[in-house]
This record gives sequence, C-alpha cells and structure tokens, in this order.
Amino acid sequence: MIGSPDVVALTKEDEYLVTDPDPWVLPKEFNIPLHPQNDLNPWAKTSYAKFTKDFILISEFSEQVGPQPLLTIPDDPKVCGTFDLNYFSLRIMSVDYQASFVGHPPGTGYPRLSFVEDSRVVLGDSKEGAFAYVHHLTLYDLEARGFVRPFCMAYVSADERKIMLQFQELSLRFSQASECLKAGNRRAFAKELQRKLRDLEYTHSVLQREEGLQREAGPRCVYSAHAVEKANELANVEKSIYEHRDLLRQISSYHQRPRRDPHAVTCQKCITECLNECEELLNKYGKLASLFTCGANERRGEDGEGERGDEREEGCEEEDEAVKRRPSYTPQLIKAKSAKCFDKRLKTLQELCDDTFYKATIDLLQETEKVFRGDLSNLHTRRLERDLCRKQNPTNFLFEENLDADEDEAGRLRPLCAVNHAVHNDELSNPPPTVVLKDLDAKEPSDLLGLVESHLESSASDQTPETQESSEETKGSFSSEKSGKYQAEKQQDLASEAPDSDPSHDLNTDPDRETSSEEIDTTNGDDEGDQTPVSLLEVVSELEDTDTATDDICVVQSDMLVPIDTACCMAQESLLYEASAPEMPHHLQSSHLQRSADQVVNQEPQSLLPLPDEYAVGYPPSESVTTNGLELPVGMHGDTVSRSSAEDGSDCTMSVSIGTGQAASTLGYGGSRTMCHRKKVGQGALRFVRQYPFAMQAIWCLLSGRSLVVLGADEGRVRRLVAALALFVPAPGKCGERVQPWLSCPITLTDLQRWKLIGLQRVASPLGASVLYSLSRYSRYISILDADQKTLRCPPYCGQLLANIADHRTFIRRGSTYFLHLQSTLCRLAAKAFLYTFTHHLHLPVSSTEGPEAVEGRRRCFLQDQLGLGEEDRQIVLYLSQLITRHYLQPDAGTTTASAPFSFDYTSSIFYKI
Amino acid sequence: MSSGGPPQSPAVAKMEVALEGECPLLAATFAYWDNILGPRVHHIWAPKCDHLVFLSDGEVTFLANHTLNGEILRSAECGAVDVKFFVLAEKGVIIVSLIFDGELKGDKNTCALSVILPQTELAFYLPLHNICVERLKHVIRKGRIWMQKGYNIISVLSLEIIPIMELLASMKTHSVPEDIDIKDTVLNDDDIGDSCHEDFLHKAISSHLQTCGCSIVVGSNPEKINKIVRTLCLFLTPTERRCSRLCRAEASFRYDTGLFVQGLLKDSTGSFVLPFRQVLYSTYPTTHIDVDVNTVKQMPPCHEHVYNQRRYMRSELSALWKTDSEEDIPPDTIIHTSETFTPDLNIFQDVAHRDTLVKSFIDEVFMLKPGLSLRSTFLAQFLLLLHRKALTLLKYIEDDTQKGQKSFRSLRNLKTDLDLTVEGDLNIVMAFAEKLRGGLHSFVFGKPFYTSVQERDALLSF
Repeated sequence: MIGSPDVVALTKEDEYLVTDPDPWVLPKEFNIPLHPQNDLNPWAKTSYAKFTKDFILISEFSEQVGPQPLLTIPDDPKVCGTFDLNYFSLRIMSVDYQASFVGHPPGTGYPRLSFVEDSRVVLGDSKEGAFAYVHHLTLYDLEARGFVRPFCMAYVSADERKIMLQFQELSLRFSQASECLKAGNRRAFAKELQRKLRDLEYTHSVLQREEGLQREAGPRCVYSAHAVEKANELANVEKSIYEHRDLLRQISSYHQRPRRDPHAVTCQKCITECLNECEELLNKYGKLASLFTCGANERRGEDGEGERGDEREEGCEEEDEAVKRRPSYTPQLIKAKSAKCFDKRLKTLQELCDDTFYKATIDLLQETEKVFRGDLSNLHTRRLERDLCRKQNPTNFLFEENLDADEDEAGRLRPLCAVNHAVHNDELSNPPPTVVLKDLDAKEPSDLLGLVESHLESSASDQTPETQESSEETKGSFSSEKSGKYQAEKQQDLASEAPDSDPSHDLNTDPDRETSSEEIDTTNGDDEGDQTPVSLLEVVSELEDTDTATDDICVVQSDMLVPIDTACCMAQESLLYEASAPEMPHHLQSSHLQRSADQVVNQEPQSLLPLPDEYAVGYPPSESVTTNGLELPVGMHGDTVSRSSAEDGSDCTMSVSIGTGQAASTLGYGGSRTMCHRKKVGQGALRFVRQYPFAMQAIWCLLSGRSLVVLGADEGRVRRLVAALALFVPAPGKCGERVQPWLSCPITLTDLQRWKLIGLQRVASPLGASVLYSLSRYSRYISILDADQKTLRCPPYCGQLLANIADHRTFIRRGSTYFLHLQSTLCRLAAKAFLYTFTHHLHLPVSSTEGPEAVEGRRRCFLQDQLGLGEEDRQIVLYLSQLITRHYLQPDAGTTTASAPFSFDYTSSIFYKI
Repeated sequence: MSSGGPPQSPAVAKMEVALEGECPLLAATFAYWDNILGPRVHHIWAPKCDHLVFLSDGEVTFLANHTLNGEILRSAECGAVDVKFFVLAEKGVIIVSLIFDGELKGDKNTCALSVILPQTELAFYLPLHNICVERLKHVIRKGRIWMQKGYNIISVLSLEIIPIMELLASMKTHSVPEDIDIKDTVLNDDDIGDSCHEDFLHKAISSHLQTCGCSIVVGSNPEKINKIVRTLCLFLTPTERRCSRLCRAEASFRYDTGLFVQGLLKDSTGSFVLPFRQVLYSTYPTTHIDVDVNTVKQMPPCHEHVYNQRRYMRSELSALWKTDSEEDIPPDTIIHTSETFTPDLNIFQDVAHRDTLVKSFIDEVFMLKPGLSLRSTFLAQFLLLLHRKALTLLKYIEDDTQKGQKSFRSLRNLKTDLDLTVEGDLNIVMAFAEKLRGGLHSFVFGKPFYTSVQERDALLSF
C-alpha cells in the first residue's frame, strides 16, 4: 500500500509548490483585496506617509533650477521626516496650470503683464501616501522671464479625505494668503519699477547731456559715429522708459480688470492701498512724458524763445525735483543692455513681496496649519458641533463652550485680513470685485485720487473714535439699561471699597467692550505705523462694519427673543399663579415676554420655583438680592440667616474683592480652551472620579445647584481639584465667574450665591478658625470636600443619571476621551432640562379651575414617569431648568454672577470617607 | 472663458448624451499618454443640450491634456487609481481626473478619465465628489481589464459616465436643500401619529441612523415620500443632505448608488425594482422604507455590507476577465450563476435591534409645541449627543487599541462605560463613528465573517 509520504516523494518540488497561473484567474493588479489594510486597522490608512504630521510647503518653479521647495510651515525638519520635498515640489509644480501668454503679444509694442487667476489642485502620490491641496499663484519680478515667477503653496497631508472634505475652507484660507502675497508683490513690483524709472531717467539725462555736448563739439549737421551711437542709446532708454511706464500703468490697473475667479478673497483695504500707491507713482511718472517734451522744447528754445523756454525749464526742473525727491534712493546709470539678466541672483520670496505682507502671509499660513492640525474626525465633529450649538441657543450657556472663542480656535477665518486690516469676514469671504470694479470704472483715476486726497484729511485717527463711539453706542443699546446701571454701580462699589480690585472683574463686567477697543487700537497702531493713504473705501468699509455689527447684534437679540415658546417659561415664572392668560399670538409674545421678565424680576419669587417647599426656599433671588446681596433666602428655617444677612452683606463685598483678586477665571465650559487644556481638565476630572468613590455625590451637588467648597491647605491641589470639578458646574459663565478656585477668607452667603464651586484655604491661624466657623455656619447650604482628609460632607445621592460619568471603575483611559464622554452626558442632561422647561402642557393649567397643585403634580409625574427620574435626579433637571428659564427670560442677567439662583435643602448631610 | 487652445483633433471621437433637464457637467474625457505624441484625448462625452456650449471641443481637449501633464513622473503601484481635482479659475472650470495605468495597443500607458464642470458648480459638486469618484473608480477597474484584453475601453466607461451625467442632472433639480424647514417634515406634526404610525417612524429613523444615514424611501405618493425623505434628512449633516434626492412626481428616477437618502416612486403596478448590484455597491448599507405599507427593512451592518460588496465586485471583475468577446459586457445576472459566489439576494431584513435613543427622542419631541423652534432645538441637541457619542466611542477604541495596533477586545466595557448596552443604541453610534473612521466596523466586529454586532458581542462576553 502506498502512503501519502511516498506520493510526496515522487513529486518534484517545483511542481508541488509552484503551479502555473490559471489564465482564468484574475491577476492581482486587476482585482480588489477582499480584506484591505483599512479593515485590519482603520488608522493605518494615513500611516504610510514619511512625514509625521500635516505641513504647508511653499515651492517655486525657478527659471534657473526648476521646481524647488522654499520653506515649510512648521519650519521643523522633524515634521517632514524623510519625505522628499524636492521630488514632491517637482510633482506639484510640474504643470503650468495658469498657462497664459506672457511677453510681447502680437500687435503690441510693449511687454504685457499677464494677470492670471490662481489655480487650485488636489493631487497625491499614493505610493508615498502624501496628498496635497496646491494653490498656484504668480508673482511679478522685473528681472524674471516674462516678469513672472510661479509659486505654489501646498497643504500636505497623509489623509486625502481630510483635504477634500475641507477643500473650501482650505481654498478660502490659501486664497487669502495668496492675495496677501500678491498685494505685497504688486507694491514691491511698483517700487521696483519706480527705482528702475529713476535709473532710466537719470541715465536719460546723462545721455542727453553727453549727446548735447557732442553735438555742440562737432560741426553742425554732421554726426559722428559716436554721436549716432549715443543717440540710439538715448532712444533705447526712452523706449525703455515708455515700456516701464506702461508696466507701471498695467500694474496699477490690476484691480480694474474683471476677476474670473469667483472664489478669490480680497481685502478692500489692501486693494485700495496698493491701488493708491500705484496711482500715485503713475501720476508722478506720467510727468516724464512732459519731461521729454520739456527736453524737446529746450532744444527748440535754443532758436530764440529764450524767456518762455526758461520759464518752462524752470517749471520742468521743479517738477523734476518733485519726482526726484526720494532721499532713500540714489539713481544709477544703466548700461545699454537688456534688463533681463539670467546670471543674476533671483529675488527671494521675501524680497518679492513687501515685508509686512510677507510676514502677514506667513502668520496666516501658520494659523492655517494650526487650524487644520489633527485628526479629521475631531475637526469634522467640532465643526458639526459648532453648527448644532448655534441652533440651541437656550441651553448653550449651561455646558457648552463659548462659541465665539471656539470659532477662533477651531479655525474660522479671523475677522481681519492678513495684514490685520479691520475688514469683516463677510467681505473677505464674499469679495465684491464687480462692485469695486464698477466704482473704479465710474471714476477717473484723478477723481479717485482727488477723493482719496480729500479723505486723507479724515484719516483713520479721525474716523476711528467715531466708529468706536458708535460701536459703544450699539453695545449700550444691546445691553439692558438696568444691567448697565448695575454694572456701573458695581464697579463704583468695587472701586471705592476695593481699590486693588482685580482685572478679571473688569473682564467680567463687559468683555466685549474691551475687545472692541483693543481691535480699534490695533487698527490705529497699524495705520500710524503704516503711513499709507486712507481712502474713501476704507472709511466706507469701516462704516459698513459698524452697520454690520449693529445688524449682528439685532440678530442676536431677535434670536434670543423670538423663536422659543415663551409661554412655558412664563408659566413657570408668572402665569402659573396668575389668572390663566389666554394664549397670545406669537408675534406679541416677545413684548409680553419683556413685560413678563420685568414682572419676574420685580415680584416676590414665591411662585417661581417648582421645587417642593421642603428643600427650596426663596428662589430665585429678586432684584433686591441681585443688587445688594442681602436678601438671602428666608424660609421657615432661615431665621438665623436672615438676621445676620446685613453684616454678611458687608462681608461679602470684602470677600468678593479678595476672592476675585486671586481668581484665574478660565475655568468651566465658558472659557475658551485648547485641545491641550481640554485634555488636562479631562484628565483631572477622570482622576477625581477614579480616586474618590464619592465623586458621584460631589458631582451631583454641583449639577443640582448646591455649592461645593473644596477645602485644603495645599493651594495647588485645591486648584487642581477645582479645575477638574469646574467641568460639572452648570452655567459657569463666559469666563468661569461661578467658580472661585482659591479663597483665603471666610465665606459669606453672598459668596455662596455668587460661586457654585469654591476652593478654600485651610490655615492654622485665627483666620483659619473663622474660615472653619463660616463653613460650619453655612454647612446646611453647602457641601464640603476636604482635599486633605479626602472626605465629603453632602446629602446622599442614589440616582442613576450620573452613574455613567462618575464610575470609578470606568475603563476610559484618557482625559480627552473622558472629556468627550462627559460632554455628551451633559448634553443629554441639558436636553432633558430643555424638554422639561419648554413642554407646554406641564406648566400651564389645563383649565381655569385647575390649581397650582395639579400643575405641580403633573410636572412631578412627567419627571418621574416620562423621564424616569428619581428624587435626586429630578433635582438636577429642575435646577438646570431653572437656569434655562432665568437665562431665557433675562439673557443679560445670565452673564452676571449675582443673578444666579440660590437654593438649598434641609436634607441631612452624610459624611463620606475613603 | 478664453477661446485659445489647440484646434480639435479629428481623431477625437465624441459621444453626445441626451439628458433630461440641465446637466451641470460640461464634458467627460478619456485621455492617455501616448508614448510618441504625449498627452492625447481619445474620447469625449458631452451632454446634448439646447443651451450654449460652454466649452469648444478644442478647449476640452486642451484641458483634458492638461490633466495628464506631470504624470510622466507617476510612480504609483500597478492598478492604483489616483484622483486629481483641479479648480482652474483662469479657464473657469473644475476638473476631476482619475489617473490610472492601462494597456493600449500593446503599450503600458498612463490614462486619465476626466469630468469637466464649470467653476460655478463647485459648491454643487463638492458634496457629490466622493460618490462620483467611487463609481468611476470601479468602472475604471473594469475598463483596465477590458484594455488588457485589447478591447475598447470606451464602451465600459460609458456604462458609468452616462449614469453619472444623469445623476448630476437629477441632483440639479431634485437634491435636498442644505437647510430643511422642520415644517416640511413629520416632526412638525401635532401628534406623533398624524402622518405615520408611531412605531413606523421610530423604526424608520432608527434604522436610517443604524445604516449610516443611508435610506431609500419608496411609495406611490410623491408628497408622502418627500415628507419622509426630508424627515430622514433632518438627521444628516448639511453635506450629506446635498447628497440626497427627493422623489420626482412625474416619473421615478432610477436608483443611484451612493446617495444618502433618495425618494423613489413606484410604477403603475405598485412596485419598484431595485437593482441588486447598485444597492450593494453603495458605500454604506441601506434602509428600505416603504411608505405605502409602512415597512422598514435594513441591510446588514457595515462590516458585512463591505464584505458582501467586495465579494460581489471581485466576482464581477472575474466574470469580466473571463469574457471572450468584446461585444458581451457581462450583465449583472452572470455572477449570480457564478460557481464560486452566489450572493444572498435577500439583503433587506427586518430591523432586529431596537434602541432607546431614537425611541425617547420620538416620544419626547412631540411633547414640544410645534410651529416654534422648540423641536428644531431639541433635534439639534439630539444630533449633538449622537455626534459626541460617536467621537467618544471612536476615541475609546483608539485609546484601547493604541490606534489599531492591538485588536479590540473590550466591547463589553465600552458598552458599559459609554452607556450603550442596548444593541440599537450601539448600532447607531457605531454607524456615526463609521462615517468618521471608515473600516471601524470591520476592525471591531471582525473581518470575514457574517458576524452581527450581537453575535460578536456574545462571543466576546464568554
């Protein structure tokens, strides 16, 4: 019997291992893999590239050495790694996408500049794993072939999808950078032409003099060969002058050509400035024509028109002087040879552009690199988040980051052009070239210049204060009079009582104003430094800006007031316990809302709180509380507190000044945060959750509106804990005003109303004793987390809502991931609170006979049955709902800390220990 | 538009494609790098329309040649299809070029299949870019086989170029707008049962989200179809909405691979025949919603869908490779009888996994008063929650596996930590995450098996 090993022995090795390819089997290169690498590792797709992270590459197609990389952003060799920049430059610059005619077109005597639009290309090298958005542009150089130097700016990434998904944003940003470079280049080119014309003019005068001498020296009507040569040379120079004048004319007419690129981004001020400069130069060098005329007249004048000739000569000399009045440059004699020298060193990119513009472009590109840095999933989600957050105005203030700050970080175009001209983003992104063109077309250059000159008198320094005033007026009209008064009073109080009050408080009072004045200052500074003419267009644009700002503000106002069903909020605030009002038409609701808001503020808050009496007393504070901080919640058990409220009030002012003096108010969701900061605070919060088994209780306190005091001797530890816990503070304020990271004096009731999270110093001194006394005094209103002994004293929490974010056994590894998880959980809480707040039938009596108890019962039933919330979880939703209601009815008050609701309950606290 | 450019070569063949309505596409071209003459256009497809021709053939040739410039340096792997995207403001056009290698007349050449559109259509085209590219890539794979056999590639390329022209023309008139007024959707109804049965709406939205926002809505009443299409589109991003299409009242569009939501009208017999191949070639699995009978069916999850898709593609390419004659380009039915692969035609199944996320959203949103912006706000909160959960899940897996360096073994922990213990919820969030990071399903749930989320989870829990 033959076994299988015997069979194997009879076969040849090659036959066994290698089989002939089956002609019917599809070769690999025509097939697709069943299990691509991407399925095995979705992150591997971008790991082929030889560079570590995205970068920006600027390359040039040099007429001397061909395509070459010039610089990378960031300028760090580690970023590019072993990636061959030379090869990649060759690839991205190997096509002349802007193919247009340059040089002398047929039928024209002068060389013509080609005004080509930028082109944008996305391409890649799949083998290298490198993909790029490439923005091609052309700069002008008097010494270059055809006067053009092709450049490109490329955003290089390993992720092709990232580039395509963000094509429009990339295009917008690079267009802005390109326009900036080109504006600077036109300015530099015009200056170069100016120098060249001066040289030519000087050469012309020298040659003319020499020719005159020779003519005088030789016999009349007989010309020597040398004289003929000089005459030819003179003619060449004159021709050259005409050519260069024409180039100057062309470059100054750059903006008058119709733009073919609908996506070009231009700054009106940059355009105007460059245009003005070119016009100015053109105007001056236009006089050269009359100079030649003068020269001819001079020659004719020799025959006898002595006096007139002398007059003209004087006139010409004056003009000549005016033209030559450029102390910074000494004209040089130009030898009779072509202006195009290929053996010359080519100008660098920096030399090709005006220095200011070059630096601005680099800044812009650096910013662009930062904006697009990171993973696409992050960028994409952030963008969606921003869009969605805009649609949920009523609840954003609870846990969402400041959208404006976020926009800056997440990469919307800054509202300035690349050289920091104060032009609105709208104008940048939607340039009105045709409109400008019309304006320019409609006016003769001289008219335009005339206008420009007339407006020179009212330059930026004159205009800016007006703009500032108007913007302040606008802002004044935006904020309510009441809050303005309140702020003013508050500031006065602070100034009188606490002379060394901190700047963060100023920031809190009106951050917008400071920002706005900063911007204006910047503009002023630029203008002063720049010394460039200010045109009509600029003034108009500034005025337009003001209008736009006003419009924006109006929009904000209407956003805040119009869209939401006000009846729900009002029901909670007033309608519920008033005679049931008939439903009003929607268009009347906003006005009614205003009245209602006033009522709410002025009335006794007895009806405002849907909390049961056992644990809710006197919420929310009436305006009297807001203004003097004295009328603290007084209930049946609050007698002691109310008696001591007056002295507390005086204390409170003191403590405010001390407290805020040390506050670093960048905590909470309100402050603008970088990814790094998010990671850090996320890590802190995760550590807290892992380290403290009672973290859930502490978090519940914050989310249900109970103030939490973090007590500790070590400032660093306390601050870190506060920073971590600040994530859980609802409505922390734009700059985290509701959080006091470090306080060294005894707390007062006003402090408790002002701050929801307080870091308190533990000291072994008489002051320390008073601190502890104050804690025990207010212990029924607050929870105390002892950072030194790792204990917590607060009411018990047995709910389910927070189980997921405060589980110390969580497998979430990183702070940034925990932060994301937290965000989604808090987002869900906010949605529940929103639902509760604005569910119509919950807050309005169904019939006129229905009393408040029935409505209250319906609410309770909704929370319990519909939302499935237990007692403690209900408190969270109720507290958030109160905040939403208050914020909605008093949007301005939402930014001030004093108007925050204050509540407490008498549930006995439990002492937690690790 | 500049009129300059080389004169039209008489050798360039041109096919005019008759289309209904306005086609934004100016021309499509097939060009190759001739070893002697350099870049050369071989064929032009142009829409046949009444309006003024934007580009002359000479200009089309000039532009198409340009797409091959620089490709002499190409060093891509054999079979790779590279995409180049041009916005040439100077010429006022955008060009999408797919560069690949192929055998022409016995020589290996670099070829380019290009689509040219006016620059004014940039915003219109960009959301559709991925759909067009994916479809063209596959037809190029088929075309390369055809070229290898020495046949004319144009007939194969025409199989996709013409439908893409039709797609763009249909999207021009019937694409879903970026901003949808909630008043035009079911979510504006006074009560949940006004337009459709409560459970139907829940099922439809849930399944729609589980299949990455990819759905087809069929029915006999165009208004009803479009109301559901708009409702489903509320749950998409603005860009995805631009890749969705409303139903045409007069006569139904054909099914188009790659669109997110599309409304399709049944014929007079009350049926709509879905092309199996095209449905399977969609990037994501699809939910089938019939508004006449209120049924919701869905395709298997992403990893299974991709696996089925690839198997089908491989079979199709193999069938093409085995074809003997240039005349018979194999129809779809051929592979159904293939010995090696018999696709499961019953790809639409009942929605197996129920969720709590959509359920509670549907229950709650109708409590808010309609006609105001309350429901829009609530919807925005819901979407924000889903997007955040998806990113959290993605980062969780990323952290756990060190960016895919290790296999993922802690699905149970993930479910507990991220509150995704309900299968439907996990499916929804996974679908969102899949769109952020393609291949995530395959990575998490395994590659070659018909393993559902539930089965895999059961395996892991042992």
